Parts: sequence; structure tokens; C-alpha cells
Amino acid sequence: MIEIKDVHQSYGKGKVLDGVSLRIKENAITAIVGANGAGKSTLLGVITRILPMISGEVFWDGFNLKQVKSREIAKKIAVLKQTQSLNIRINVADLVEFGRFPYCGGRLSDADKAKVEQALDYMDLQLIRDKFIDELSGGQRQRAFIAMILAQDTPYIFLDEPLNNLDIKYSVEMMKIIRKFVTELGKTIVLVLHDINFAAAYADYIVAMKDGKIAGEGPVLDMISPEILNGIFDHNFHIVEHDGKKVCLYYDNESRRKHGGYTHNHDSEHVSRHGDEHAHNRGDGFARRNDDKKGRRHTV
Amino acid sequence: MEKQRRVKSSSKRTAIIFGILFIVIAASVLVYIYSRTFAKSNRLGLPMTKLAFDSIMARALPALIGMSIGGFLIAVMSQAFQTATESRVLTPSMIGFDSVFVGTQTIIVFIFGASSKIFSNAYINYLISAGAMVIISMLMYGMVLRKNKNNLVFLLMFGLVLSGIIRSGSSYLQLIMDANDYMQVQAATAVTINNMNTRIIYLAAPIMAATGLAMILRHRTYDVIALGRVNAKSLGINYDREININLLLIAIGMSITTALIGSLAFLGLLAVNISREIFKTHRHSVLFLGAGLFAVIALVFGQAMVELLQAAVPLTTIIDLLGCSYMFYLILKENKKV
Repeated sequence: MIEIKDVHQSYGKGKVLDGVSLRIKENAITAIVGANGAGKSTLLGVITRILPMISGEVFWDGFNLKQVKSREIAKKIAVLKQTQSLNIRINVADLVEFGRFPYCGGRLSDADKAKVEQALDYMDLQLIRDKFIDELSGGQRQRAFIAMILAQDTPYIFLDEPLNNLDIKYSVEMMKIIRKFVTELGKTIVLVLHDINFAAAYADYIVAMKDGKIAGEGPVLDMISPEILNGIFDHNFHIVEHDGKKVCLYYDNESRRKHGGYTHNHDSEHVSRHGDEHAHNRGDGFARRNDDKKGRRHTV
Repeated sequence: MEKQRRVKSSSKRTAIIFGILFIVIAASVLVYIYSRTFAKSNRLGLPMTKLAFDSIMARALPALIGMSIGGFLIAVMSQAFQTATESRVLTPSMIGFDSVFVGTQTIIVFIFGASSKIFSNAYINYLISAGAMVIISMLMYGMVLRKNKNNLVFLLMFGLVLSGIIRSGSSYLQLIMDANDYMQVQAATAVTINNMNTRIIYLAAPIMAATGLAMILRHRTYDVIALGRVNAKSLGINYDREININLLLIAIGMSITTALIGSLAFLGLLAVNISREIFKTHRHSVLFLGAGLFAVIALVFGQAMVELLQAAVPLTTIIDLLGCSYMFYLILKENKKV
């Protein structure tokens, strides 16, 4: 079990994490959501020791992580940053082999090699195992990195914005794989997500952050409600239910109200098509309006 | 089955390339010895006696050893530095490591005088310059490199300015110091591969060999560091400690190679990139050895050619010219990518 106690972190004068305490739910997907600069990625970095912290403690099964050797932590906790490009020529199979480094220091035994093959099979990478990473598409590259941390064979996996730079198709594929990690392999997953709807659709728990503090946490169905989300994102949310899951509509609330708005439990096609359209067409307007709002707040 | 065949063929290819490289090195060594002995005697119309041969070899052999180990180490250090900074362009000398050597020499003489033991005793002198370089490089890394890893232009500018400041500061000190001291500093810092400081070869060779070996033995760690900070940490590398060890080794190695064979700014860049292009691998065991051998060939063969053809252009100039053009190409290419 991973437990975070009263973690503080700041860059320069601004506080990025302000007394964060959290217990991570086992064998489940926890999504950390929040606006830009709320401290989501910093929290993830601090838990996984990628980033230093000013004060606070992270415990794993009662051990203070500060006192555990890096090698041993790497057998329990794996972390992956958003899709990345590498400066080196390396093929998929060799990259996945690095997942065994905490166990063998680079000298792979037959057991290690078997784990690598398993990871390649699981992520469906056997056909492209000899391809160089820089020749792959974004989705394939992401799968190769996920295979690496799968070979690392850790009970805990932390992912920082795993859907960044991925098309919708690959994003959904990625979330399904992550779901399979929990149901089939019994892993515990924590991920930072930008899109609240991906969190609503795939996460079990949601941790919402605002201004370096935890603004709320709980099971996904409790958290996806206008009362909670409006405060976290400073924006008006409209929630519809579909197939027992909640979907947030946050595109252009004014015009929807004018047209009578949506009623709950819409048929799926209508909602999703409409949602997508709005996402593309109104994306800019949404951002600009948000800026206006911020500007106003500053002058007041 | 097919995979095994592919692995076999690629490691076979690597072995063949290494074989060729070793043959080329052996040939270069022979050509180098020939150029300094028989070619010279032919040119001068003198017979090549056993005595003359021995006396030439007594000077050529230390030079050969210095060039080989020095060139090899420069390439290994450049590769390690590029891995740690995740860059294909930077090398230690580019951010001013070798000008630090000139600076420390000047300051030692300025403060203690050329006749003092601290300067004239090669061991004490080396310890002090290496120590100064270790401290300066650690400071530099802590303040500049760590935060600006991805800002290539800034780092190059920083290196340029740093070496500019140190060099002009040194020449100012040299200007106001005693004439005799000045001559001594000049002799210690105007080292090139033509004018090697063979006086310290028996101190330098073991240190250089040990530094190079330490880096090569750590090749698996470098493999992981090359994946970037986050991945390396996730895989259980104590990243900050490893980077500090790396810098420490580079500071030790740079101070001793600069003292022995002088500054070779672009040799490392060329050797590292050639080996990377040819071997197309991420394994540092191969990359280190490959880059090192290319550097040895460039130095020994190049020096042999310069002697043989009685070229008026020193080898360093040729290497700098090639390396400089290649660096332009790299920078332009990197710019296009962004």
C-alpha cells in the first residue's frame, strides 16, 4: 500500500504542493485530475521520487521510501512520463529488456528474457519487435514503453499523462490496456489525466487537485458531479448519464441552455457525436473564454 | 528462430567492423613508425642505423602511447558526456573544460611562481589542476547544465563565454607575470599532439587508462541513463549520484589529457558520431569501444600522414576543420527537427 503524508513542494515562491496526504487504493485505477498548474504531475513525480520534495513522507507498505534503495523501489513502482522521443537508436525488444534492469542490472537471465517475451506478447508487439523506436507511430511507441514497465513487473504503475499526443483511437486503446492491467494482472495504477471524460469512463477513483491541494477524492461516480467539478475547474459542468457511466459536457454551456439543453440519459450516438463536434469546433472559443474569465478575476 | 538469426547477423557485423578497425590501427601504427624512421632517413639521404632507429623509437613510442590512450579516452568521455546531457552536439571541451586547465596552470604559476614545487612537480601540479577542474565542473553542472539540458544554444554560448573569460583572464595574468614564469606557463599550456608533454606520460597513462576503464565498466549504467532522467530513475538508477560520478570521471580525464596532448576540441565529436552512425546501437559497450578506436585511428593515422607528406598543416587543424563542419551540420539538422 502506498500512503502519502503531508507533502510540500514549491518552485521559487509559488507553492505547488501544499500539505497533500493521500492513500492510494489497491488494485484499482486512480486518476489525478485538475486544471493546469494544480500540481498533478508534481504529485506524481514526488510519490515516485522523480522529483524531490521539501517536506513530507511517502510510505510503501509502512517503509519510508527515503530509506529504501532505488533498485528496490524500482521493483515495486514503475513510472512513465508522457509519450517521449529518445535520442538513441534502439529497437522495441531492446527497450523492453530495460524493464528487467532493476532485477539483473542489464545481464538478462533466461527468466528475465521470458518476462520480456511475455510483455511483448501482452502488448502485441511481436510483429514490430525489431523496429527502431523512432520509426514507430505515437501509439506504437507508447505501447513499447508500456511493455517496458510491464516487464519491470511492479505492483504499482504511475503514468503521467499517458494520453498526450495520442489520437482518440489510441487513447481508448491505451485506457483499455490499463484497465486490463488491473483486472487481469492485479496491478494498482495511478495516472494523471487531462481529459475529465477519460477519467470518468475508465478510472475507479478520482483525486481532484486545485492550487496544490487535494480538492476532493472518492469513487468516480461520486466525484463526477457539477457541484464538485465546477469548483475544481472554475467552469460550469453539465453531467449526463449513459450506460451507467457519467459524461461531462463542458463545451459552450450558454448556447446549450438557449436550445433547451440536454436531458439526462440521451441515446449514446447523439451525445458522443455532439460532444466530439463541439470539442473540435469550440475548442478555441472555450480556451479564450477561460482566459477572459481569468483576466477579469485579476482586475477585480 | 528468425530473431536469433538477426541478432547473430548484427553481432557478426559488429565483430567484423571491430576487426577492420583493429587492422587499420595496426597499419596506422606501422605507417607512423615508418614515417618517423625510414621515410625520414630516405628523405635526408642518411642510412637507417640500429642506433638511430632506437633513439627515434625512444621518442616515438611515448608519443604513440600518449596519442592512443589520450584519443581513446577523449572519445569515451565525449560519448559519456553526450549520454548524460542527452545531446549529440556537446562535448566536454565545448563547454570550456580545457580552458579551465589553462586557467588553473596560469593561476598556480601566478601565485606560487614557476620555480615552486607545486608547479614543477608534475604530480602535485596535476592533483591541483584536476581538483580545480572537478570543483569547477561540479559547480557548472549544478548551476547550468542540470537546468538547461535541453537548451543547446544556451550551453554552447555558456561554454564560449566561459572559455573566453578564462583565456583572456589567463593571458592578462601571463602579461603581468615574471618573464621566466611566463615561459614556463607557455610551455605547460601550449601542448599539442606534435609537441606532447611526454615528461608526464608515466603519470598520465595509468590515470587515463583507469579513467577510461572505469567508464567502460559502467557501460550498462550508461545504457539506462541514455533513456532519460525519468526512465532511468524509474528503473532504479540513482540518477544524481551516477551523473556526479560521470562528471567526476570526465573532470579527471579531461585534466590529464589536456595536460598531456593538449586540446582536441572536435576529435570527440567526430569519433562519437561516426561510431554511432556505423554501429547503430544503444549499447555503450560497443559505442565506447567504437568511438575510442575511431579516435585512435584519426590521431595515429593522421599524424603518420602529416609526417609522411611533410604537410605544413598540423593534424589538429585538419580535425578541427572536419569536426567544425560536422558540428554545423548537426546544429542545422537539430534545428530543423524542432
